[in-house]
Amino acid sequence: MLSILKSEWFKLRKSKIFGILLVGPLIGLGAGIGADAVETAGAMNEWYMLLIYMNLPYSVLFLPLVTGVLASLVCRYEHQSGGWKQVLALPVTRGKVFAAKYVLILLLVLFIQLLYLAAIFGAGLYKGVADPFPAAIIWKSILGGWVATFPLVALQLWMSVWFKSFAAPFAVNVVFTLPSILAMNSEKVGPYYPWAQPFAMMYPATDTGDIFFIPWEQLLTVIGGFFLLFYLGGYFYFQRKAV
Amino acid sequence: MEYIVRTENLSKHFGKEKAVSGLEMKIPKGEIYGFLGPNGAGKTTTIRMLLGLMKPDSGRIEIFQKDLKKERLNILGRVGSLVESPSYYPHLTAKENLEAMRKILGVPKQRIAEVLEIVRLTDACDKKVKGFSLGMKQRLGIAASLLNNPELLILDEPTNGLDPSGIIEIRNLIKSLPSECGMTVLISSHLLSEIDQMATTVGIVTKGKMIFQDSIEAMRMFSQQSVLLKVSESDKAWRSLLGRGMKAGLDSGIISLPQQSDEQVAEAVRGLVADGFSVYRVEEEKRSLEDIFLQMTREEQAG
Repeated sequence: MLSILKSEWFKLRKSKIFGILLVGPLIGLGAGIGADAVETAGAMNEWYMLLIYMNLPYSVLFLPLVTGVLASLVCRYEHQSGGWKQVLALPVTRGKVFAAKYVLILLLVLFIQLLYLAAIFGAGLYKGVADPFPAAIIWKSILGGWVATFPLVALQLWMSVWFKSFAAPFAVNVVFTLPSILAMNSEKVGPYYPWAQPFAMMYPATDTGDIFFIPWEQLLTVIGGFFLLFYLGGYFYFQRKAV
Repeated sequence: MEYIVRTENLSKHFGKEKAVSGLEMKIPKGEIYGFLGPNGAGKTTTIRMLLGLMKPDSGRIEIFQKDLKKERLNILGRVGSLVESPSYYPHLTAKENLEAMRKILGVPKQRIAEVLEIVRLTDACDKKVKGFSLGMKQRLGIAASLLNNPELLILDEPTNGLDPSGIIEIRNLIKSLPSECGMTVLISSHLLSEIDQMATTVGIVTKGKMIFQDSIEAMRMFSQQSVLLKVSESDKAWRSLLGRGMKAGLDSGIISLPQQSDEQVAEAVRGLVADGFSVYRVEEEKRSLEDIFLQMTREEQAG
């Protein structure tokens, strides 16, 4: 499994992905620097205010979209010139190849989240935020947002394995991501809509006593449930795919 | 006999079309097995099933006398393959392409240089494969298939896109593999001349069915000559030969004597002359393997 992951990383590393990894955190940084946080100061920790401003473009749009782009990237070179048959004729199981690609995307998303953390910190320093840096941001918002992408990455990997073209999985992604702007404003739909979860999990709520910013039940049922659904869907599709 | 590959009643259909039906392939150890058939006969489909890239609808595949379904990983670790058009990652160099595979196969790094040398790609090894010619990509594919020092090498149309000198090079390489490395080789081709020059065993497939499977010598037996006679009054002459109890055919004024010894041919000529016919020409007709192949595939289609 580790050797497959290494091989996947080797193939991806050579395909100029670093620009893509930087886009999101830079968008966040821009939103943070441009934020009008000073007027509302005093009501709550200024870091949280900054986070809310930065999260809006980042977690609503960029984070869900980038999962699809990364998934397409790790499959693109397999589709191009018979890569699938090359890999799958090696002594590997399809399940492990699928898992390796999945884990690789998750690691990249985690890396993006860490860059985003750096962007939050950078924007705060630039703004001269004086409040103490709340460590909860790190594990609640950054790690929470990461966990929220698990089902999205699974679905996008499924779509990317399926479709040869770059556009089809991306279209699927956009079609589901855009309504999350509406969904997150709805108390009924919001908690159950997978594409709204990155925003929900990164949004600093008042302390609920849960580990993340959303209730446990929501984490397990919505994120866990959709993760299982999408991952198994992709896994079984890949098992039967003729290459 | 020890079979490296053995399929039993292997079948696969795409929709209504039967790509492979009831295929029984037997490849003895140490042979170069020429898998021959016209385009669309089911060669590549069979090879994909041998590698587990595609699941058969029915039938069994045994490689190294192990069930492919149960011991796929173990088997694939000992198999090298090149399927259809060469597979490669265009954004990587030749060396990097092999490195991506090497990481999974776990063979020593120096093996990359070795296989590049074997296929003469050492000079181009740091160039992106995107810019390679078809022949160079094909060489890279062959290099990749040799990476894990396989016991069974499966090459689907390996000389596709190579120039004549490249074809000879690869042919010599393939011929040397069984004796030098103890490999068993399966090569597919739609060109009989190709198979004729390399293979020791032949399997001919058409419309998904194996219509011939034996040694190349056995196949050459089919190409035994017949002798053609051009004579005056061919119709009468033919009757007189039949009257003498000889096997003879008549086709548009030419008498043919199938599979006769020299003595029998002489006797036939002597008889014709004695009966007063003029013998204009005595010719030997040697059927090429191509003719046999065409005849076999045609018979299959008629039947």
